[in-house]
Amino acid sequence: MHTPLLIIGGGLSGLAAALRFARFIPDVLLLERHSRVGGLNSYYYRNSRLFETGLHAITNYADPKEKNAPLNRLLRQLKIKRRELDIHQQNQSEIRFLDRQSLLFSNDFSLFENEISDKFPGSFDGFQKLLLLITDYDPFKPESFISARQVIQHHLQDDLLTDMLLCPLMYYGSSIENDMDLGQFVIMFRAIFLEGMFRPGGTIKDLLEILLTHYKNYGGKLRTKASVVKILGDDKKVQGVLLESGEEISCDYMLTTIGSEETFTLLGKPSGLKKLPRLGFVETIFELPPQAELARARDRTIIFYNKAKTFSYQRPCELLDINSGVICMPQNFQNLPPSSFTEVRTTHLASYRLWKNLKNDPDSYNRAKENAALSSLPVAEKILGNFAQNIVYRDTFTPLTIERFTGKNNGAIYGNPVKIKDGNIGFDNLFLAGTDQGFLGIVGSMLSGVSIVNQHILPRL
Amino acid sequence: MTRDAIKDLILEIIEDIDEDADFDSLQSDKPLRDQLDLDSMDFLDIVMELRKRHKLQIPEEDYPELATLDSCVNYLEPLLADA
Repeated sequence: MHTPLLIIGGGLSGLAAALRFARFIPDVLLLERHSRVGGLNSYYYRNSRLFETGLHAITNYADPKEKNAPLNRLLRQLKIKRRELDIHQQNQSEIRFLDRQSLLFSNDFSLFENEISDKFPGSFDGFQKLLLLITDYDPFKPESFISARQVIQHHLQDDLLTDMLLCPLMYYGSSIENDMDLGQFVIMFRAIFLEGMFRPGGTIKDLLEILLTHYKNYGGKLRTKASVVKILGDDKKVQGVLLESGEEISCDYMLTTIGSEETFTLLGKPSGLKKLPRLGFVETIFELPPQAELARARDRTIIFYNKAKTFSYQRPCELLDINSGVICMPQNFQNLPPSSFTEVRTTHLASYRLWKNLKNDPDSYNRAKENAALSSLPVAEKILGNFAQNIVYRDTFTPLTIERFTGKNNGAIYGNPVKIKDGNIGFDNLFLAGTDQGFLGIVGSMLSGVSIVNQHILPRL
Repeated sequence: MTRDAIKDLILEIIEDIDEDADFDSLQSDKPLRDQLDLDSMDFLDIVMELRKRHKLQIPEEDYPELATLDSCVNYLEPLLADA
């Protein structure tokens, strides 16, 4: 079989790339290893209902009139109507450093500005200057690493506020330890604080189906359970892929969304990329009955917390680090339709290596999963109020779960710390999009797929 | 295709990209991108739609020829002579 464009990986970047291309040229084949598309943002069925895997909130909320906002550009590029998404904005989220300080934010940026002016008056002028930098900075220009932490600290002159600003941005998109690249910081600051968060009224499955329906209507082809075992070609040009089934598919152009290192493994050659530590996470979903009360955080959508003296965002020396994390209440978005359950989701940094050590001992691994959930519970209850007595179901993902279902090395959801912004990995006809290209989040990863197709493939075919 | 028909074609494609595009004050000798608030991603849609609808292959180095409505018409007139 031959196809002009072959895309490896049916996550959101691969789906968006495929849809963008199929709008103009229907001859595109999307390969997904699993039985379902979505990658990190997929779903599964347990306890007779659907669970979302990755979705907490979608960042980059924008009003319809903001034509050049990432969300609206993306919808135009994919020819998807805004109303198809059924957008529900967040209520209010919070950065809480326990026993120290708290900052509220919402999709109205003035709330966040007022909070900073009230609680960190000495840093407010510096914060305004930092905002100017964030507005003017071009994060897409290839640049070598600039420490965001140093730039923020220089402007704010306050360690606590610096950590509080970094905490949500790191948890929602940093692949490196204890710092961020300035460009990445600017992208994330705009996405979370200046733009904001929303979710669809339905589930991630509905969103994936919208994308798939449009894609198939244009004539695009999808194969699930199609695992690529080798990319065929020479040092400069790829010819196609070999599937696990033994079938070969040839192509003129190829787009990979599975990660840079993961792609070079399929090419059978070294990537030459610097090997830096990768960050893994543990997430637990606590299911509660509908309308369950969370006494201390009724309207909060997401709480980013830290309870240690200093905020550390690094691989822990234990299975997981409950000193900081994210607590998400997916029902707390505005005007959502009534649901038959309430959820609390907690996310913490985890050690891939220590989880991996348990892999061959299912009893210890399962016990460790149980303990991970139980150790996360007291801190969640401290912040939300007691809810343990109401838990009707619970599930935990570890870095191994994520690695198994997404193929991401070490289960690192934000991928390789080294990003390849222009998608060029040294081949004439093979390009990289998705997590390792550097755009993150659902809107970001989709824009990644779209922009790499626009830049490298559409003009040439 | 006549010059007017080509003009209509371009406007129709733009309207398809952005249904709120305002053509009333559009000046045909000024850059489309500035006047209609199109970015480079939107601009590529014009090229790709021309390809899809009229099998026109516009090489990347010719993209600047599509900057204004007038230059679009001048550039496309010979290419769409038989369309």
